[in-house]
Amino acid sequence: MGKKRWCYLLLWICLIGVLLAAGILVGAQGGSEETIQEAMRDAVLHESNQVSLFGVRLVNPGLISAFIVTGVLLIAAACIRIFVIPRFAYVPGKFQLVLETVVSLFDGLAKSNSPWRNNFLGAYIFGAGAYIFCGTLFELFGFQIISDKGNSVALPAPLSDINAAIMLGVLSYFVIVSGAIAGNGLRGIGKALKEISLLISMSFRMFGALLSGLLVTELVYYYVALSFVLPVLVAVLFTLLHAVIQTYVLTMLTALFYGEMSEPSHKKKK
Amino acid sequence: MNIPLNIDWQQILLHLFNFAILAGGLYILLYRPVKNFMKKREDYYNDMMQEAENAKEEAGRLKEEYQEKLTQMDVEFEKKRTEAQKDLDRMRQEQLEEIKKEAEELMEKAKAASEQEHKKMLSKASKELTEMVVSAAEKITLKSQGDPYEQFLDIAERERLDGKEK
Repeated sequence: MGKKRWCYLLLWICLIGVLLAAGILVGAQGGSEETIQEAMRDAVLHESNQVSLFGVRLVNPGLISAFIVTGVLLIAAACIRIFVIPRFAYVPGKFQLVLETVVSLFDGLAKSNSPWRNNFLGAYIFGAGAYIFCGTLFELFGFQIISDKGNSVALPAPLSDINAAIMLGVLSYFVIVSGAIAGNGLRGIGKALKEISLLISMSFRMFGALLSGLLVTELVYYYVALSFVLPVLVAVLFTLLHAVIQTYVLTMLTALFYGEMSEPSHKKKK
Repeated sequence: MNIPLNIDWQQILLHLFNFAILAGGLYILLYRPVKNFMKKREDYYNDMMQEAENAKEEAGRLKEEYQEKLTQMDVEFEKKRTEAQKDLDRMRQEQLEEIKKEAEELMEKAKAASEQEHKKMLSKASKELTEMVVSAAEKITLKSQGDPYEQFLDIAERERLDGKEK
């Protein structure tokens, strides 16, 4: 190892030491005291630390996160559409390959689970997948926002807000119902109603999964002593895992049930 | 109505509104163009494959055609070769016969010439012999001092007598 590298390593260790000392010294001061119970309750229900939506009304921080994620994704998509897609080549480059793989992944998921009417399903699970994945990763950035109480709140993943989870769960169920109706007409409604429990299960599964990650992160950050090194494992790895797993679970379930419901029923021969 | 867990219909609708914009935007800006491009590329390669298949079929057909032509040409070539061989044999036979005839003529001529030469030589030898005999006889006669004619007659008479006794 060269001398230069040793210098960098030493500098890095010193920096960590200084940050640790600063964290321990500063941690006990400032801000309103909030018990762990209150912090957890607030992370789940967002009753106390709400954020003003353009001065119109107070909303959960998750909704602000959702708007930001949507804005960023749409801007990125527009840039890709304008600058990248027109330069697509028949022999793809790295970025093109990534885009094609992602699109093919959701398209393939839709086609393999629902051989019937899969165009709409593919588009839907692509949108939902991108939203869940990017929304969950958004939590990692820890952007701060000022709540109505004047506290600084880290913007959470949009889907850790129960309203967002309910929205996506219910919407997914209605997508499945639409597939059932398109495939079997009015009889499809009956078929879809048999799976009404999906409404609850899809909504709360996602809410529970994402909330658990949020709570663990909240717990870790509550104590200053745990705020070093551990977040690398807890926050980054858990968040990455959540992002992948939840994206896969919701898109997979939606595609699976959509395919099952939209399958044309065969009349029994007498 | 106060719903537990801070569930808020208005916020659900706002989330729905937000997601509808996102899903629609992503579909228009990303999903559809990328899918269209992949379809276009698939079609391009399918067309290319189809063209290659057609070219292969055409090549196969041409190969069969040329193979057939080659077979026909082989047959024709064999036929021509046989005819040429026959002509060659016939010409060779004719030439051989002609040469044989010429050789026979030559032999005849040579035979005649040699016979003539033989006769000529024989007559010449006979003539020379006669002359030698005459000369010898003359010499003998001259040596015996008698009349050569008488001596000759005596010899002739003696030979005639010998012939009768036998």
